[in-house]
This record gives sequence, structure tokens and C-alpha cells, in this order.
Amino acid sequence: MIPFTKHTLSNGLDVIVHEDHHQPVVAVNLWYHVGSKDEVRGRTGLAHLFEHLMFKGAEHQPRGFFEPLQEAGGSLNGSTSTDRTNYWAVVPAGATELALWMEADRMGWLVPALSADRFDTEREVVLNERRQSYDNRPYGLAHFALSEALYPADHPYHWPTIGYPSDLRATSVDDARAFFERYYHPANASLAIAGDVTTAAALRMVEDLFGNIPAGAPVAPLTVAPAPALARRLVLEDRVELPRLYLMWPSPPLFSDDDAALDVAADVIANGRTSRLYRTLIHDRRRAAELGAAQGSRELDSLFQIVATAAPDVTLDELRRAIVDELERLATHGPAADELERARVQAESAFVGRLQTLGGFGGKADQLNAYNVYTGSPEYFTEDLNRYLRLTTDDVRRAVARWVDPSTAVALSVVPVGQPHWALPDSQPAVVTT
Amino acid sequence: MTRLERARRFVQPEPGAPAAVRFPAVHRETLPNGLRVWTIPHTALPVVTMALVVPFGSRHDPVDRPGLAGVMADLLDEGAGGRDAIALAQAFAALGAEPSVDVGSDVTTVSVTVLSRFFEPAVALLVDVVARPRLEEPDFARVREIRRNRLRQLRSSASAIADRVLLRGVFGEHPYGHGTLGSFAALDAMTVEEVRDFHAAVVRPDEATWVVAGDVTPDAARQILERHAGAWRSEAPRVPVADPVRPSLTPPRVLLVDRPGTPQTEVRVGHPGPSRHVDGYHTLVTLNALLGGQFSSRINLNLRETRGLTYGAHTSFDFRQLGGAFSCDTNVQGDATPLVVTEILEEFRAIGTSRPAEGEELARAKSSLTRGFVRLFETPAHLAHAAVRLATFGLPGDTFDRFVPAVEAVEAADVSEAARVHVRPDDATIVLVGDSTSWRGALDAFQRPIEEVSEP
Repeated sequence: MIPFTKHTLSNGLDVIVHEDHHQPVVAVNLWYHVGSKDEVRGRTGLAHLFEHLMFKGAEHQPRGFFEPLQEAGGSLNGSTSTDRTNYWAVVPAGATELALWMEADRMGWLVPALSADRFDTEREVVLNERRQSYDNRPYGLAHFALSEALYPADHPYHWPTIGYPSDLRATSVDDARAFFERYYHPANASLAIAGDVTTAAALRMVEDLFGNIPAGAPVAPLTVAPAPALARRLVLEDRVELPRLYLMWPSPPLFSDDDAALDVAADVIANGRTSRLYRTLIHDRRRAAELGAAQGSRELDSLFQIVATAAPDVTLDELRRAIVDELERLATHGPAADELERARVQAESAFVGRLQTLGGFGGKADQLNAYNVYTGSPEYFTEDLNRYLRLTTDDVRRAVARWVDPSTAVALSVVPVGQPHWALPDSQPAVVTT
Repeated sequence: MTRLERARRFVQPEPGAPAAVRFPAVHRETLPNGLRVWTIPHTALPVVTMALVVPFGSRHDPVDRPGLAGVMADLLDEGAGGRDAIALAQAFAALGAEPSVDVGSDVTTVSVTVLSRFFEPAVALLVDVVARPRLEEPDFARVREIRRNRLRQLRSSASAIADRVLLRGVFGEHPYGHGTLGSFAALDAMTVEEVRDFHAAVVRPDEATWVVAGDVTPDAARQILERHAGAWRSEAPRVPVADPVRPSLTPPRVLLVDRPGTPQTEVRVGHPGPSRHVDGYHTLVTLNALLGGQFSSRINLNLRETRGLTYGAHTSFDFRQLGGAFSCDTNVQGDATPLVVTEILEEFRAIGTSRPAEGEELARAKSSLTRGFVRLFETPAHLAHAAVRLATFGLPGDTFDRFVPAVEAVEAADVSEAARVHVRPDDATIVLVGDSTSWRGALDAFQRPIEEVSEP
């Protein structure tokens, strides 16, 4: 577990402090509970573009976020998902106040420094990011096609976090300012400070720097109907060498019942050399080149996914049949005792491993904020681990039987350009909005 | 509060005094069979990271077998001791662990992190992996096929193509000129006997270093290593050492991989560089931090922050045992390709001439390195991999303690001089992977031979 104290300022900002004096380093981590799920149609990609703008500088330090913190020996970054946007810095303990001051500056006074020029340049950076990381990367558009197929057009997970290029081009600096006013304020944020600082000193600095920032209007949580189970076959031709099959099912949200069971089921089916499909499709028969599975947990709705890349001259339908056989076995018998025991030890090992770093993506400060934002309690770490330690064979069996019905998968075949015959039979062309 | 009052009160804090950094003591012992055991106690959590450094890598591949070191390294954990590949993976998983094998150009590192209560069984498994791998035909055939598939898939990855072409362009026929994956031809010709002979020659206790970092005492580590690795022996002849890299092995060229219809260009601009043992290493680290090593470096500020032409641009010195490379890598919108190359070459030129590193800019680069150094040794894995670098390059034990004072001592004149010697735009080979339709004609301006590369 991660010992902490939590306070809420009068403007609504949650402040979580975790002391760890092993070395003179402090992690500052700030979550805003806003992601691409909060965007409106026609302005997709705004949450992520906005994250970029947060690094361009604010009223009292208009030169940008990187230079002062890197000069102080800090490491820093941020990221945007469907559900949240996070910002972190890891700094030598002596620069704690500087890191907090920089965060306060952009939480309170970003807009005065946000010019149309800055906005236009950063939009070009994001368009480059999209082309580099998705359009020009093998299989890079697969998840976009899947989201469009799995979620109805008005579902907040229908569009990609990076955004449609046409929407990014239509977005203006005024949209960004309005986005800031609506989502970037203390009551929609959670600040975690971890490392070589006393709780009293941390709280004093936070009160001093953030206490005067106006609260802002509360953001109501989104409610959305669960995505329906669909049976669809799609094909996407791409600049790839080997055909790949994606099978996806809507599944229950992060931390809800069956979420952990599906996580373990994914490992048992297709993750790593101890998985069942690795043994049959790669080790014994060499029919697959790569395999993976995941319970992709998210706040509103998750996706259970199995991904298999074919070895040369193997059809995706052959891989599909092998996957379906294994799913049916798991839904009938559940995992074996040794599979479940390994899953428990691996969970324990992974959770202890997660206590090793203070900051950065997935460090202790980031985890405290994740638990605080998604469950309301930074304490959820222990309960999160217990979800895995408690699992029984029957829990996993029932979860697979309930959520992973082979007859309702959305199946996407990604095949080399001009070679649709490797795809599943009767697949329709996938839609990827640009 | 008025705006003025706020401005008066809300003043940017100065960072406090830099924290002193001391790398923890490395307890060094040597077992009777020659195996070096280095232990770094770190007791924050009940966790241990082990990393075994074995001095072989892709530069030890026989000339007609590029990829042999990589195949052998892959096979280490595909069955060992009394276990086949699956049983071995299950045995590690039962300890909550997954070993990883990292093949480099100079050394290979086999590492694993476990809860400290599993330290001894993990040692036993890892000894099997390095000393008693099965190296059997069916596993060899499978690993070879997985590597063929990987090579095939990389043909559709623009960044992987660019990296491969740059290696070849910078190092030519030197053993550093190929990566660890090798080639289709070499994989086809390779046999499991060659893998076994190679293993016997290069994986030997008297040349390996076993690093243990975490919640274990030096005494316990030595006793447990003695128990499980004490009987490990190697009698095979050693592989001869390759020649050092000489500067400008290869004439500067434009190497073009045309990919019609793709929206971005992968750009690499680089030339041969010094080894890790270069005089003035800390000057080069400082130079790189200023020029392209971090977000707030010159090249990224120019190409990304000012012009918006890329998601990011970086430079690095690739320091190896026998030599190295200096290069810039970026990925840019297609129509900006010639402009970006011109700007990179100009940045290479300016730092040694018209815009030397000096004043506040130099102070910032140095400060980011010296103040940030304390962040780099947080976990047992960080400590183990730092010790791996000491072992890889045979560096003295006080290397990390000397880093901060050595960077603090770097002066503007040192950086300018180092830039003129080690950042040489006229020696640089330019690698471009993208749709050249709109910019093919502009390449003549770079005044170096243009070669189209079809099948890297």
C-alpha cells in the first residue's frame, strides 16, 4: 500500500501527499478529469491538443513548461486518454515548489498566454503526431476502425483520442479557451505529491499557490448506455506484411465486477509463453507470428480484446477458429489451478513492482491520482490487489461466459493492400473517418 | 486580488541547492570459476533485480552470419536445464517473474526482477538459462521463424527501415553496420550447431558479470551464486576481438527509401562517432543536451516548437566499445523534408561556429544534467543497469560519482572544440524514408551522392 493523506481545498482541489524520504526527489502529478470522452462531435481531438497547449507556457512563465523544469533537473510529460489527462514532473526535492508553481500558473492563468500563433503551431505538431504514430505505422488505424464499429456515433468512445484531422483543422483557439474554462479548474482536478517532502510543507505550498484559483463549475459525470454486443466482420487493407486479426467485445468498466477476472482471462488465453494460445499457435504449430490479449479497462465501458498476427500463408479464419475453441474451453472449465496460482503470484509481484517509482506514468503519485479520480479513494490500491488475490476458477469462467461470446465479436482483419483473401470470409470494408 | 498584486506575490521560485549524488557501493567478488558477482544492496522494498552481462553482441556475428548472436540470445530462455520452453516460462511465472534478454552490439544482458523471497529459485533458473540452455533443433527452428517474421514485418515500418539504413550508412561493412536481427539469407543458412558453438565460445563464466541489486546482502548473494553457478565452466576457445571503428568509414551520401503514398518522412542524419572511452565524454554529453538531447534543446525547439514540422526531433551519441555514431532522428511531414534536412545540417554546423554553446543556454544544459542526475538511481533495476554499463565498458567504480563535477567543469570553449571534432555536417549521411515525389529534385542541394535503397 501507499501511505497518504488527502485534503480538499476550499476551491475543490484534491491534494494527496505521500512521503517517501529514500532519496531527495519529489514527484508532482496532476490529473484533470477530462479526456476525449468529453469532446463534442466536430471537435474531436481537442482534449489531447489542449494537453499540448498546457506545455506552451502560462501568464507568469510564458516561455514554456519544459525549459525551467529541465534546467532544475526535472523530467516531465503528460498524456491524454479517453477518460483523463495527466501531467507529471519528477524533480530534485529542492525544486518541489517550482514544479508546483508551474502547475498553479497553468491551472490559474493559461489563457492569457494562449495566442492564436501558439495554437496554430501546436495543431501542426499534433497533426504530425497523428501521421507519425497512426497513419504511417503498420496496423496504426486498426483501433480507430474498431472504435467506430463497436460504439454508436454518439458514444464518447466512438472517436479516437488523437482526433479526426478534419476536426483538428476546424478547431480554433477560441474552442481551446472554452475547453479550459469548462474543464481546467480545481474542482475537476486531483493533485498528488510523492517523495522527499513533509506533508505539512507540501500542503502549505499548495494552499499558497493553488488556494486562490477560482473553483469553476462542477463537471457532471457522463452517463452512457453500455455498448451493445455486435457480430460484425470488417476488413482494412493496410501497408503491412502479415495479416492480423482483432477480436473485440464490449466488457464491464474499470474496477467493476468481472473486470479483474477478464484481465486474468486475457493472460490465460494469449499473453506470453505461459498462455494457452501461445502453446498451440506459436510453440507447437507455428501458425501465429504474434499474440496478445487484454481487458482494456476504461471508466465508462471496457473492451476485451484478442489480437493474433498470422504466420506467412495462414488465413485469419484458421486463427479465429483456434481462438474460439480456447474461449469455449475457458467458458466451460475456467482456468486450471496452476494457471490461477501463477496469476495470483504475478499480481502480487506486479503490485509490489508498482511501488518502486515515485513519479512518471504509473509511478506512485500517478496511481494515487488514478484511484482518487476513478474510485474517490487513493486507498484503493490494496483493494485493487485483493480483487486479483480473491479470484476463483469459477469467477474467471463465469466472466468469460458472460462477456466473451464468440458469436458476437467485432472482428477486424487487417491485411496487406490488395490481398483481401486473407481476411475472415464475408468481411465488409471498415470505416476510418479522417 | 488585482492582477498587479498577484504578479507581485506569484513569483517563480528558484530551485533549491542541488542534491548531492552518491552511487551506492558495489560489492565486488569473483567466484573460483571466474564469474564476477557484484552486489548493490537497496532495501526500500522486498525486490531484487539481477542482470547478467555477457560480452557478446551483434558485432561478434561471423561475417556471413549476421543475426547469430541474436538467435543464440533468443534461444537461451527457450528451454534450459530440465525444462522445455513452456515449462521454463511457467517456472519463472510461478515466481511472478519474466526474464528478459537484451542483445546489443557489444554485450548481451539477461535480467529478471523478483520479490526477494524468490531470489534463490530465480538465480537457479537464470543459471540454467545462461549455462545450460537446451539449444535444440525444434526451438531453433521456431526462433528462426519468429525472427524471419519480425524481419518481414519491419519492412513495413518506416522508422525501423530508417534505423537499419542509417546503421549501414554510418558503419558500412564494420560489424556495427548490422543490427541484431540479421538478414533473411543468414537466417536461412544458419544451423543449430553454429548456435551451440557460438554459445560455448562466448557465454562463459570467466567473462560474465552477475549484478544483483536490491534487498539481499552481498554475503547471501555470493553464497547463493556459488551454490548454483559455482560448477559453471567453459573450455571452448574465445572469439577474437574486432577492430575499432575508424572515422569516416563511409563517404557521406543521401540514402533514399521511396515509399509512395505515405504521409511522413523518417529522417536520419548521422556519421561515425567516438567510443564510450573518448576523452571529453562529459563535454559531449553536455553538447548533446544543448543541441538535441532533450525537449528544450535547439533542434527540437527549432523544428517542433517554432515551426511545427514534427512531433519531435532528437540527437544522440551512440557510444559503443569500439566506436560509435552521432545522429539526429526525426519524423516530419513529407513536404517539409528538404527544409528539415537543411535545418539539421545548419544546426550541426552552427554549434561549432556561428552559434556556439555559451552563456545561459550552456548553463541550462549543464544544470539539467547535474541537477537531474539524482533521479536516475531510484530502483534496483536502475542500479543494476547502471552497474551493467560499468561492466560493459570496464569503467572505474567512481564513474557515477564523477559525473556531476565533470559536467560542472565543462566550459564553452570545450563544447565548441568538441562540436567541431564530433559534429560534422559535411561527413553526415542523410537517410530519408518516405514518398519522395515532391522533394526528390531538391536533394541535389545536399551535394552528396544519392542512392536509392530498395530492400534494406
